Amino acid sequence: MTGPRLVGLVARREMRERSRSRAFRISVIVMIVVVLAVIIVPALIAGGSKTRDVGITGATPAALPAAVRAQGEVVGINPRIHRYDSRSAAERAVRSGDVDVVIVDARRLEWRGEPDEQLRAVITGAVQLVAVRERAAAAGVGAGTLAAILAPVPVANVQLGQVLGRSRDDQTVALVMTIVLLMAISTYGGLVLTGVVEEKATRVVEVLLARIPARTLLAGKILGIGLLGFAQLALTALLALVATATVNSVDLPAARGAVLAWAVVWFVLGYSLYATVFGAIGSLASRTEDAQSVAGPVTIVLMASYFASFASIGSPTSWWARLFSYFPATAPLTMPNRIAMSAPAWWEPLLAVALTLASIAALVRLGGRVYSGAVLHAGPTVKLRAAWRGSPVGLDQARS
Amino acid sequence: MLEFDGAVKRFGPLTALDGCSFTARPGRLTGFLGANGAGKTTAMRAVFGLVHLDAGTTRWCGQPISPGDRAAFGYMPEERGLYPRMRVRDQLVYFGRLCGRSATEVGGAVDRWLERLGLADRAEDRVDTLSHGNQQRVQLVAAVVNEPSLLVLDEPFSGLDPIALAAMADLLAEMAAGGATVLFSSHQLDLVEHLCEDVVIIDHGRVVLAGELARLRAALPQRFAEIRFRGRAPAWSDLPGVQLVAVDDGFARLQVEPTGDVAQVVALAQGSAELTSFTYQPPTLSELFRRAVAS
Repeated sequence: MTGPRLVGLVARREMRERSRSRAFRISVIVMIVVVLAVIIVPALIAGGSKTRDVGITGATPAALPAAVRAQGEVVGINPRIHRYDSRSAAERAVRSGDVDVVIVDARRLEWRGEPDEQLRAVITGAVQLVAVRERAAAAGVGAGTLAAILAPVPVANVQLGQVLGRSRDDQTVALVMTIVLLMAISTYGGLVLTGVVEEKATRVVEVLLARIPARTLLAGKILGIGLLGFAQLALTALLALVATATVNSVDLPAARGAVLAWAVVWFVLGYSLYATVFGAIGSLASRTEDAQSVAGPVTIVLMASYFASFASIGSPTSWWARLFSYFPATAPLTMPNRIAMSAPAWWEPLLAVALTLASIAALVRLGGRVYSGAVLHAGPTVKLRAAWRGSPVGLDQARS
Repeated sequence: MLEFDGAVKRFGPLTALDGCSFTARPGRLTGFLGANGAGKTTAMRAVFGLVHLDAGTTRWCGQPISPGDRAAFGYMPEERGLYPRMRVRDQLVYFGRLCGRSATEVGGAVDRWLERLGLADRAEDRVDTLSHGNQQRVQLVAAVVNEPSLLVLDEPFSGLDPIALAAMADLLAEMAAGGATVLFSSHQLDLVEHLCEDVVIIDHGRVVLAGELARLRAALPQRFAEIRFRGRAPAWSDLPGVQLVAVDDGFARLQVEPTGDVAQVVALAQGSAELTSFTYQPPTLSELFRRAVAS
């Protein structure tokens, strides 16, 4: 049987067994519930608060209520108009919270406390508009002429943002991307780590390695967990998009397609890089309790890479941000930001990809050697140098 | 035929295999014997490429063993290992498929083995819900699921109850009768003596005795007399060329050198006591073993 087919067989087992496990199913459901909650809950809260109750009392132009409603519609507020015969009744309604504001004689707004700025702007605009129309009519200006006079001058809004013409949206995209990439790499890389330690702790690894090479086993495990993780992320992202489109509560930052495509590329590269190291390092531990401590240095590098990425959002064109975006350990978290924030030269992401791919290839070889040197040695945690030499001190040495 | 030719493996300052050479022939059970730390596990692992030899080779059918050959080998490591949370049948099919067999081919073989070992009703259960004995059976199926032409088992009898032990012995004999080469290590010398045609004895990484068990026993000049009697024990050691090896109430085991005369032993026994049984045989495996390892 050929190598790729064996890798596929190992990967299929990982996906099948893991997707069967209760822990994985719960994690999928929890992730979906959390993401949907973030999207839907603000919609439920915001949905109830879009209606405002506006009281009217005293001498009021007949056109005012319609004008208030029209102005409200522009900013997404639905003002409900309540008429009061006496000012005292209207003020009672404000004090008791039955209405948010009362318009007295079309000249005075009475609030319970601090004015609601948005509603104030809506009502003030409506009062102005109605007054202007009345004065225009009195001055003999026709409705058509008035409309021409009042026709709005289009004013463009351009967000200069903090960096290089990119907007706040780009910054949000970069931030979310960094966090999702970090979570994905550490979660699924962590599954590779514990998976390797479990196989060593249960000794099943000796049965497996008598049949297939260590590199095939490691590659299959990384591939299987990676595909499963990618599927989980894609499913969650899809549901999030559908939910956002349905309830329309969260303004999606205008992420550009190229930025998202690069994020996927960097998930694949970053996961492959870190999962290979996690897999090799995991083979040094003999008990699941030791897994986290042997992986400590790798986790520290990953966290440092996260902070580097975080810092580079603020100054994506600095020399150190460039350096981090080329260096393979930090590139997966930093280069996507630079792409989102500063449009690096075309060759920069390609250089980073090439360097990362080269490191993955090297790590697969180095990691494979450490893995095969350590994975059969039970007993105390194997020293990295001993695993490299293939002569670890362990129970086996004492026994035979 | 499996051949070890001058295999050397060092772990730092320790030499696990020190020019280890022997063969295991098809259609026969070969017992692989040695004290703890003699190099048995290292040698067995070398067959599967789990240990890379510093010198020497392992050959199968005259050629150095290749990864392709290993697809037709079966291995049961001393440290038993299965995926605890995986279902029995899924797991065995997976192991079979890693040898390059198709899913349907392996599925049929797994079902037959599970049926034979009385595990058919546990096929869909997780391995960690099985008793220790049943897990051992699953482990055995994992080693033979690809119908191997070479079966290597490291201490297959350790931890088995007498019934499981007999079943395992039958199964190994059956595999050998089917033409497979079967090599297994054990400390239970009585069992090996009863079961194996060939033995290999290893000490400090070197083979100190190897060959057909019956010939090895016959080749030693010493013979052993076992005598049961009623009455007073005679003074066995007074006879020339006779040594008392073991003694109990009404029992004696004597080593008779070529210079000794067994007729004198019988005469002495009959003269001073009532003889109830008498056997006169070549040395047992455990005597061969002690002699080989001591020299």
